[in-house]
Amino acid sequence: MPDRRETLSWLLRALALSAAPIAGTERAGARILRPGAGGAPGAEGYGRDPSLLHPHIPWPSILTPPQKGAVARLADVFLPEHGASPAASALGVPDFVDEWVSAPYPQQQRDRIVVLQGLTDLERDAGAPIGELDARQAEDLVARLHARAAAGAAPEGRFFRRFRQICLIGYYTTPAGVAQLGYVGYQPSARFAGPPPQVLAKLGIEPGG
Amino acid sequence: MAAEPFDVIVVGSGAAGGTAAHALTGAGARVCLLEAGRSYDPGRETPMFQRTAAAPLRDAGTPDKPFGFYDATVDGGWELPEEPFATAPGTEFRWFRARMLGGRTNHWGRVALRYANHDFKAYSRDGLGADWPFTYDEFAPWYDRAERLVGVFGSNPGLPDQPDSPPGCLQPPPVPRSHELLIMAGGRRLGRPVVPSHTAVITQPIDGRLACFYATPCLRGCSIRANFQSTTVLLPPARATGRLTTLTHAQAYEIEMAPDGRARGVHYLDRLTHRHHFIPGRAVMLGASAMESVRLLLNSRSTQFPDGIGADSGLLGRGVMDSTGSNVWGQFPQMENLPPFNDDGVWLPHVYIPWWAWPEQRAGRLPFTRGYHLELYGGRLEPSADTFDFLDDVSPLTYGRRLKEEAQRYYGSFVRLSQRGEMIAREHNRVQIDPVLRDQWGIPSLRFDVRFSDQELRQTAHAQQSMAEFIEAAGGKLVTPLPRNPAEAILPPGRIIHEVGGARTGVDPARSVTDPFGRVWGVPNLYVIDGAVFPSSAHKNPTLTIVAFASRASEHLRKALRHA
Ligand SMILES: Cc1cc2nc3c(=O)[nH]c(=O)nc-3n(C[C@H](O)[C@H](O)[C@H](O)COP(=O)(O)OP(=O)(O)OC[C@H]3O[C@@H](n4cnc5c(N)ncnc54)[C@H](O)[C@@H]3O)c2cc1C
Ligand code: SF4
Repeated sequence: MPDRRETLSWLLRALALSAAPIAGTERAGARILRPGAGGAPGAEGYGRDPSLLHPHIPWPSILTPPQKGAVARLADVFLPEHGASPAASALGVPDFVDEWVSAPYPQQQRDRIVVLQGLTDLERDAGAPIGELDARQAEDLVARLHARAAAGAAPEGRFFRRFRQICLIGYYTTPAGVAQLGYVGYQPSARFAGPPPQVLAKLGIEPGG
Repeated sequence: MAAEPFDVIVVGSGAAGGTAAHALTGAGARVCLLEAGRSYDPGRETPMFQRTAAAPLRDAGTPDKPFGFYDATVDGGWELPEEPFATAPGTEFRWFRARMLGGRTNHWGRVALRYANHDFKAYSRDGLGADWPFTYDEFAPWYDRAERLVGVFGSNPGLPDQPDSPPGCLQPPPVPRSHELLIMAGGRRLGRPVVPSHTAVITQPIDGRLACFYATPCLRGCSIRANFQSTTVLLPPARATGRLTTLTHAQAYEIEMAPDGRARGVHYLDRLTHRHHFIPGRAVMLGASAMESVRLLLNSRSTQFPDGIGADSGLLGRGVMDSTGSNVWGQFPQMENLPPFNDDGVWLPHVYIPWWAWPEQRAGRLPFTRGYHLELYGGRLEPSADTFDFLDDVSPLTYGRRLKEEAQRYYGSFVRLSQRGEMIAREHNRVQIDPVLRDQWGIPSLRFDVRFSDQELRQTAHAQQSMAEFIEAAGGKLVTPLPRNPAEAILPPGRIIHEVGGARTGVDPARSVTDPFGRVWGVPNLYVIDGAVFPSSAHKNPTLTIVAFASRASEHLRKALRHA
């Protein structure tokens, strides 16, 4: 009798296979493909001529509520609340992770496999649904993940890197994230002033030099 | 549809076709412009102020939109499933296309450099490739015109590899941004120039266009018309003459010859209705982009030209080039944790590193005979899907509060240096009609057989080393060590999207496909006006030269039409 994990990894392999033709688009010879083809069953990309002024995400979300709960719990350990800086889940990062891993594009499909496999492994480790762990348990879980990744375990390292990367994108492109990074822009002006004196000083550049 | 007789049928509406339509309608000719893609209105469609957070996948590139969701490209990409192409076994070619009014000018990188005389005459110096059929001095007035028409900022530092423009051609460049100032300081330490880029953005109003307001990403296009797009700069005035007819979704597939040896007109397919049409004209100009124009010639077979129009010399399709390209990323501790400030500027390079070693190269002291320049990208850009690409390198496996500190610390502290070098024209680098592959409409497709030689690899090794030197001299650190072999660093041919050649211009019909004005030898009313005519392709990005060549060809045709 296959256990749950084996069934899941079988499913994931099937998913990976359905994504295979997409990976082939980079090679010569395998070129006649629908744009965005190979996603979740029936999922379409936004195509090569989407409305740019009224963006719309055409693909359905694939994460189940428990998976999303797990993503939220983990994302908040990767990017926790700290002072005025909100936690990942307060900035919609779980929704973004869902949007990302549900997308029918090659990078996102590779990430889907990494993330779903990682969630499955972590849940096994936790012995309980991750979304139901308390903050302390979630931190311990990520600490164990980190230790294994740091010791060179490949699947754990892959999950750590990709999950962290997707969370970072989801977090720091929001208005609150942008403000924390200190990006200032999109301000029309007649003249471009260049960096202010205190920045030039930090860069070690003489004004006008 | 268009029953009136046209003076000129122009195929393609990008840099080349747009220039011809602009010049010829302005000179009184009736022009019919055939464009395979859809119509496009930058005034209404450009997502100027849309923010990353509102875009699917936060604007990350996908096969549907390789340069991000908001990028101006419509119906384009590296792979167009309806329009496949083949590559010879063991070779690679990347071919980025855009099927829209204005072609790839809607989102190009807008670096606009003049060739120098030694670029036009490189063959005479090293015996590789072929010379252009004119000198810099003969061509320079067309550069002057092109710069004024396009609107280019830049400066005239009097460098041996970068011809100065006469007064009145260039617009004042914007002051450098923080990362650019650092690289300039590095250049001073190395004794190498870092100077204002020549970029197709206006910093002062001209021709009813507003100046740049330093606030929105150029690659999305510019609804205020401050940067150069065929659809904002060339086509509106052409339309205003009342002499331009634009047919979109019109895929040209064959040029028909008349018994007298002149081109009679163009066959095209309406991509929407799948109907075939023929449109006659007194002259035909091909500006479908270099490889598409060559394909059109190869696919136009007749008793006079059994192997395609212009194939007599055996050179049609040969001498295909791209620019060489490779990258090195630097991380700059001085740029960590900077206080917030507006560093947008023009969303394109303000400065670049011109080819400083030309005197040394001319003297034969370098192991490669053609030059390169370096472009730089980076600084405090709007946070996007690639902002944290290097966090795994500089701060592996951090998480929690520490991760937030690291994200803030490293944000904006990376700079990418990017080589753009000359690839030598070699006749064995070619496109042919593939014996079996066809596009969705049954039109025979191209097959690419393009490889780099040791020249390009040795140049790339030098460029990689130089980029590392710039980064270190500027106080930065390499994010990853340089690959030991330049073959690992060089990007595949086509990847820089400067593909040119295949219908070389020259003075000898036995050694070229077109005459010095782009007229196909033996067919007095058929011109090739895009990058296909390039006999050699300097490291200087091709589009300014395409615009200058197309406007010179248009002037030649204008005179011919008047005399007829
Ligand atoms: C991301 C990017 C960055 C770039 N950066 C730079 C840069 O910094 N500097 C630089 O000089 N260049 C740059 N380029 C290259 C530049 O875009 C091209 O050199 C330039 O657009 C070529 O002009 P063109 O008119 O020949 O072709 P295009 O602009 O490609 O226009 C050709 C048009 O013809 C149409 N067409 C094709 N075939 C047919 C047919 N059979 N019938 C009818 N219509 C047809 C196409 O749909 C298209 O609209 C860049 C390109 C890209 C994609
Ligand atoms: S930076 Fe300037 S030129 Fe570029 S899109 Fe914005 S306003 Fe237009």
